[in-house]
Amino acid sequence: MLSKPVITGMGVIAAIGQGKAAFITGLLEGKHAFGVMQRPGRQRDSAYIGAEIGKITFSPAITKQTLHASSFSSQAALVVVQEAWDEARLFDVDPMRIGLIVGGSNIQQRELVQVHEGYRDRCAFLRPTYGLSFMDSDVCGFCTAQFGIRGPSYTVGGASASGQLAIVQAAQAVLTNQVDVCIALGALMDLSHWECRGLRALGAMGSDRYESEPALACRPFDRDHDGFIFGECCGAVVVESMESSKRRGLEPYAALRGWGIVMDGNRNPDPSLEGETQAIQKALAASGLPPAQIDYVNPHGTGSIAGDRVELDALRACQLTGAYVNATKSLIGHGLSAAGTVEVIATLLQMQAGRLHPSRNLENPIDSTWNWVSDRSVDYPIENALTLSMGFGGINTAMYWQRHHQA
Amino acid sequence: MNKMKLIELIARHTREVLPELEAHQFIPSDQLVDLGANSVDRAEIAMLVQESLGLSVPRVQLFGPKNIGELADLFLEKLDAV
Repeated sequence: MLSKPVITGMGVIAAIGQGKAAFITGLLEGKHAFGVMQRPGRQRDSAYIGAEIGKITFSPAITKQTLHASSFSSQAALVVVQEAWDEARLFDVDPMRIGLIVGGSNIQQRELVQVHEGYRDRCAFLRPTYGLSFMDSDVCGFCTAQFGIRGPSYTVGGASASGQLAIVQAAQAVLTNQVDVCIALGALMDLSHWECRGLRALGAMGSDRYESEPALACRPFDRDHDGFIFGECCGAVVVESMESSKRRGLEPYAALRGWGIVMDGNRNPDPSLEGETQAIQKALAASGLPPAQIDYVNPHGTGSIAGDRVELDALRACQLTGAYVNATKSLIGHGLSAAGTVEVIATLLQMQAGRLHPSRNLENPIDSTWNWVSDRSVDYPIENALTLSMGFGGINTAMYWQRHHQA
Repeated sequence: MNKMKLIELIARHTREVLPELEAHQFIPSDQLVDLGANSVDRAEIAMLVQESLGLSVPRVQLFGPKNIGELADLFLEKLDAV
């Protein structure tokens, strides 16, 4: 029986920076890049606020030909997988024993809308590559081709919990010995103006209340929150067994001691105290450790009025009131499919740094009894952390991370 | 449109799909496969050329030409037929 899966490599990109070093620096400094979104296809009679990624630096190993052919979501995937790949020295692993799970569905909407609108009156000349690119699994194609991955690669979807689901799926692939190493990718969700409109109409995305002050719009757990604010991001983590990591002399970031996945039996976007509580309890039970051992929680914390309240109620019901809490989305926005993976990366980088990042705009917490990290970062050595994700369709996921100490 | 102009057009769209060929001097005997174009790239290039020419050629007919000179001949023939 293999030991608990560990994380040995990570790659990340968000609006506050590309790569782990820029990302953790940005988090700890409380940086943000919120504004009225500018990427083509994001606005239509609108001024949606979000955090968009700036110019991406690509490794020379990624050819211009690949960049020309790939979608924005695929480009972000190539960049973060490269970073994780190099860190975990995957070039020393048999390609047949490496897998890749891509978390997210319908992730390339903006690219698709651009094609549909651009070719509306000249559909006879549609680029043939659209026959490949319209599928999310095109991301698997680009990444496996770039890195020569020969183990299983496929997508998993669970709305905003997709990023955590990908890690769970990767952990299971390792634990069942399908592969030695499995990369989990939280894919960049590339929203078009249509999804922005739908999410806002649904009341999930923040309103235009902060249109003239975009920096104030994203405010998880603050009394003036009124919905999530989108943020482009993408992250990859390398999951493997301790035994496998030792073969390459790596020191992991942390071990995954347990997880929980629970459905509410509810198609709608509204949260469920019962579902969230059960997911957390499953993760805690799997860890075999008492709740008081959790000293840091990275919550889903989107800024949704109902979601923020129910999440704190669930954490309280699970006796986690002693833990520090901050809101990564207050700095990078909500990456939807990517959020679960990117926030695990934020958690493990804070664990490594021994410091917790601040939460922007947390001026009047909806519940002041929690150990919030609000206006400035705090030195704190995390031993055990819980990360949470919830998605539309009533999915709740929780993951239990234990810091790795060098032998 | 003469053959030279058509080859230039094919070259332009080939460079668009395969930016690594930016400095390549195209000649009629160049084969797209040998220049690194896979089947998807070749379909892309052919479609971009058709759009530039305002011409729609059935995909099956594009399998005939062996090099970009012959491809240019095919497009010229189609243009003449319009």
